[in-house]
Amino acid sequence: MALNLFSRKRATRPAASGMGRGAGYVPAGETALPDDPLKRALQQGRLGLLLHVPDDAADPRQSEAMRRRAAQQFDERFGMVPEGLASITTSVQDQPGAPEVDHEIEAFLLARHAVTNEDYQFFVDDGGYDQLELWPEDIWPHLVGFKDHSGAAGPRFWRKGRHDKRLARHPVVGVNYYEAAAYSEWAGLCLPTSPQWQMAASWRVRSEAAADRRYPWGDALDLERCNIWAAGHARTLPVNACPSGAAPNGVLQLIGNVWEWTRSDFDCVDDQGRRVIGEMPMKCIRGGAFDTYFPWQAVSAFQSGLTLLTRAHNVGFRCASNIVDEC
Amino acid sequence: MAVTFATTSGTTCLICDTPNPSEAQSCKECSAPLAIVRDALAQDRDPNLVSIMGDSNVGKTVYLGFLLDMLSQRAHNFEAVPKGAYSVDLAQIVISHMAHRMFPPKTAIEMDEWCWAYYQVCRRGRASKIIDLVMPDIAGEAVAAELESPATFRIIQNLLGRSSGTLLLVDAALAANGSAQPDFFALKMLSYIDSMFTTKKRRKIELPVAVVFTKADYCPTCFDDPRSFAQANLNRLWNMCDSRFACVEFFACSVIGSLGYCGGENDDVVTSIPLHTALNGVLEPFEWIVDQL
Repeated sequence: MALNLFSRKRATRPAASGMGRGAGYVPAGETALPDDPLKRALQQGRLGLLLHVPDDAADPRQSEAMRRRAAQQFDERFGMVPEGLASITTSVQDQPGAPEVDHEIEAFLLARHAVTNEDYQFFVDDGGYDQLELWPEDIWPHLVGFKDHSGAAGPRFWRKGRHDKRLARHPVVGVNYYEAAAYSEWAGLCLPTSPQWQMAASWRVRSEAAADRRYPWGDALDLERCNIWAAGHARTLPVNACPSGAAPNGVLQLIGNVWEWTRSDFDCVDDQGRRVIGEMPMKCIRGGAFDTYFPWQAVSAFQSGLTLLTRAHNVGFRCASNIVDEC
Repeated sequence: MAVTFATTSGTTCLICDTPNPSEAQSCKECSAPLAIVRDALAQDRDPNLVSIMGDSNVGKTVYLGFLLDMLSQRAHNFEAVPKGAYSVDLAQIVISHMAHRMFPPKTAIEMDEWCWAYYQVCRRGRASKIIDLVMPDIAGEAVAAELESPATFRIIQNLLGRSSGTLLLVDAALAANGSAQPDFFALKMLSYIDSMFTTKKRRKIELPVAVVFTKADYCPTCFDDPRSFAQANLNRLWNMCDSRFACVEFFACSVIGSLGYCGGENDDVVTSIPLHTALNGVLEPFEWIVDQL
């Protein structure tokens, strides 16, 4: 049907993340990977697996060398969050005086950056969506729906299984909770819990002061340090942007840019004690995003919930690891 | 649009042309604030009326409240100044509720309960083109009643008749779920506008109409291509636009990032809780309308 719905000036819509939709899509090329499985895993960033690689009877020194290199990359890519306390409100209204539950947090490691498109590409190229052992069995029928714009397996905003190479260092978005969890497991890591995330952002370490921070950098909002709506970017930024917003351990962008999946259930009640539920089960998301309008929804203590299969334009994730062993 | 300015013997309402005593605060006929007339007189410029129409519960109040608040914060290179304290009421109500994870109360059907906003808007760096915008928050029930029985709420007719542009809000979530209600309401609304502006020669109506799909977070494909969404899910609306309107554009918007619900087994009412905000596509329809003025 021919239409002549020609407006005088055509509207343009902002990008879901990064580049404008009308600006063309530049698919990322394929990355050559070594044949050696250990070297390949190192380049793919599957650090959690490499830390536990057993000694190769034929060449134990190579195994040891791989573990050392993985540990070195861990130091570079992860920051240690010390033990402390996280007080999580149980009220959805989150007013002063609302009931809270205290969580003792043991020290753990948290990725300095959210998982990027470039990182996630390794997972897709490795056939992550076909490795059923990474996915809960009751999700298997839904895997067919975890497609990108062109129908290939991948995050929602990709095309033909490739990310836009101009967004290589931006956080991957358009992934639901299961995709975030599957990637983390593939990498030998895990998603942080909501209390762990809050501990990393509030830095409520054990001390006589027992103070926690409103933001990773302190208590005052500073739009130079985070990418929320008021900062005016209206899109995601690379994961190393806003370096002055880092936590004391160098972890970046806990506040703003993208919301982050945690592995904790969203469990809140209203002021009448009635449980708040979604159309399906929800997990906690944290941190706020580039389009978070209210600054108080982008603070260390604020938590929201999102249904597990939502593949939002402003939700990504970062990985964590226990210091001792498995998650 | 001709503006009726105040006279020495009283103030003539901008919306319905009813003469009112000079000391009156609101029109005795339609309850529109007469401060709008006085502010327009002070600016010595014809204000442009932008009407926001839609069915009950489509999100007019939330949309307009966020829009006005964003404009006040100079979003998208707009500079917007509220004229009169009354112009800030709506944004204050919406923001204060949403900030506490609550939706604002339903807009009352009584005209004297409606919020009016009068803003002076310009693009930053283009102070020569200042536009005065009047945007009332109208009850969806009043709109529906007027469509069912014209002249029930004559103010709706007057508003549309004086509008320089219209934002027609349509519930994308309902449409995506297969409900025909949004399509039928939009068809009625456009037919109503058509009957007001139609000429003997049956030329297409020039009034700019921005069709805004609200709650589009529920249906992400709506954001990808609102036109295709309209064609696929609201075919009556689509055909009416094609036949009778010369200046139409389609948009998707959402303000809620995630929605929760609570209500016990014995409760009749389930309460929706906006868990966090994620503004998407709020300014673009307004920007387009302003560009058409």
